[in-house]
Amino acid sequence: MEPVKILGICCNWSPYASYNAAERAGIEMPANFRLIRVMCIGRINQALILRAFEFGADGVIVLECKDEDCRYGPGPEIGHTNVHRVRRLIDLLGIGQRRLVERSFFAHEKEKLAEAIWEFTARIEAMGPNSAKPSQEREAS
Amino acid sequence: MKLSDPRIKQMIRQRSLYMCLECGKCSASCPRMTAGKEYSPRLLAQKIIAEQEDEAFIENSVWECLTCALCEERCPSDVEFSRFIVEMRALLAETKGLTGYRAHDGALHSWMRLMTSPELKQNRLGWIGPELRTASQGPVAFFTGCAPYFDVFFSGIEVDTLSIVRDSIRLLNFIDVDPVVLAEERCCGHDLLLTGDTENFKTLCQLNYEELKKAGVEEVVFSCPECYYVFDRYMPEIVPGYDLKATLLIDMLRTEIDKGGISFRPLEKRVTYQDPCRLGRLSNRIEEPRALVNMVPDLTLAEMENHGRSANCCGNSGFINCDAYSKAIQLERLKEVKATKAELLLTACPKCMIHLTCAMRDPVRRGSLKVAIRDMASLLAEQIEWSEEAQTRRLAKA
Repeated sequence: MEPVKILGICCNWSPYASYNAAERAGIEMPANFRLIRVMCIGRINQALILRAFEFGADGVIVLECKDEDCRYGPGPEIGHTNVHRVRRLIDLLGIGQRRLVERSFFAHEKEKLAEAIWEFTARIEAMGPNSAKPSQEREAS
Repeated sequence: MKLSDPRIKQMIRQRSLYMCLECGKCSASCPRMTAGKEYSPRLLAQKIIAEQEDEAFIENSVWECLTCALCEERCPSDVEFSRFIVEMRALLAETKGLTGYRAHDGALHSWMRLMTSPELKQNRLGWIGPELRTASQGPVAFFTGCAPYFDVFFSGIEVDTLSIVRDSIRLLNFIDVDPVVLAEERCCGHDLLLTGDTENFKTLCQLNYEELKKAGVEEVVFSCPECYYVFDRYMPEIVPGYDLKATLLIDMLRTEIDKGGISFRPLEKRVTYQDPCRLGRLSNRIEEPRALVNMVPDLTLAEMENHGRSANCCGNSGFINCDAYSKAIQLERLKEVKATKAELLLTACPKCMIHLTCAMRDPVRRGSLKVAIRDMASLLAEQIEWSEEAQTRRLAKA
């Protein structure tokens, strides 16, 4: 099976607390999973999610707080809009909507979070690498 | 950027910068300068020739330009400023990386680069309904451009760019052309070119050419002036053995109308027209779109204060420099629209439509600058008809 690259974009608050707790509890994460921590999913726009695919991600999982749990207010709702639009864009591009998902967590859900990441990784591994990759490899700038 | 780079000297010569008289007409007409930005084409020309040590200034200025070509329109020495800017950007990007500021955080440029994948399997034709006749093989193709993508990306500002391509195809169907619409058509790459990403731009050109050839296409019809500009000016330089004919939809329509038999249903409306930079000044179609619009009976075309060759830019090009000054340019433009008392603003470029629609939603203006906006193709598609005599002839033939 060809190796795939999975990126998690994670809100600093509830999901990251869960992620942190999971790591401390020794829950294993997939080896091909990378995490970017951001202050709030409301901070992420369509461009940043698209760029993950541009730079070679095969799947992106957006980890956010529950709607009522946002420290700033509208974070998750902005996240829903952006994820919804980017899913439509990557569908047009033929990458497939299933390569981008969003999942929300409370701060105490370490098992649930790990489970979601494993489940998503398994799905992307089954789908294989994303073939729509820029012909010229990009370096982060 | 190494300013000792011999290519800079060559550009200066090729684009006639040595001919600059320092009269300052360029800076006085520059929409960004008149909106208050500290940016001067004249000063850039002077610095690049005589004060190359001021690298920071040169670099910033190169990314500021809208390439709207209003300066070169008024330049008495024929300095080709917009081409110079595009070439400088390519050079800067090559030596310093893609550092130029990009609007929307470069989301549009991201999907354009994703399209350079040779294995791309797009899903882009969902907008073609049963009312449109298209083909997958044939001599004439219609180039849709980024419209399906814009529609998703800009759904927040309620702009319907897909209506432009639908209505363009309706017009083509009307004149009995069933155009090829490619399932794997890529972006024309115009915006990558404007951000200096020459390599990916060339890849897109090559891929588009190959896809069109595979479908047996000889002539490509455009409603978007930027796509047309790329196919007309850049593709012959980039693609070896390039042999496609690029035609603007308005030119094709005009030829058909001149054959006779086509008329337009009357429409009692006062409209005004925004000249896209790449259609008007850069492709020299000033009178052509106006002639078409004027064919609609009862329609009044009221010109804005700055129109035709002096038309102002919609404030942004290549999705690069969107800022408060762009907004100021757009608001000024909309005030000119309002001053014409037109009920409808016609555009001929999806990007003018996007940018002006966005500016109309300016919360501070509380909708005072709102006006209905449509593409020329949509208006024509709605009003076009066969004259009675031609209709009977067509029926007899059938």
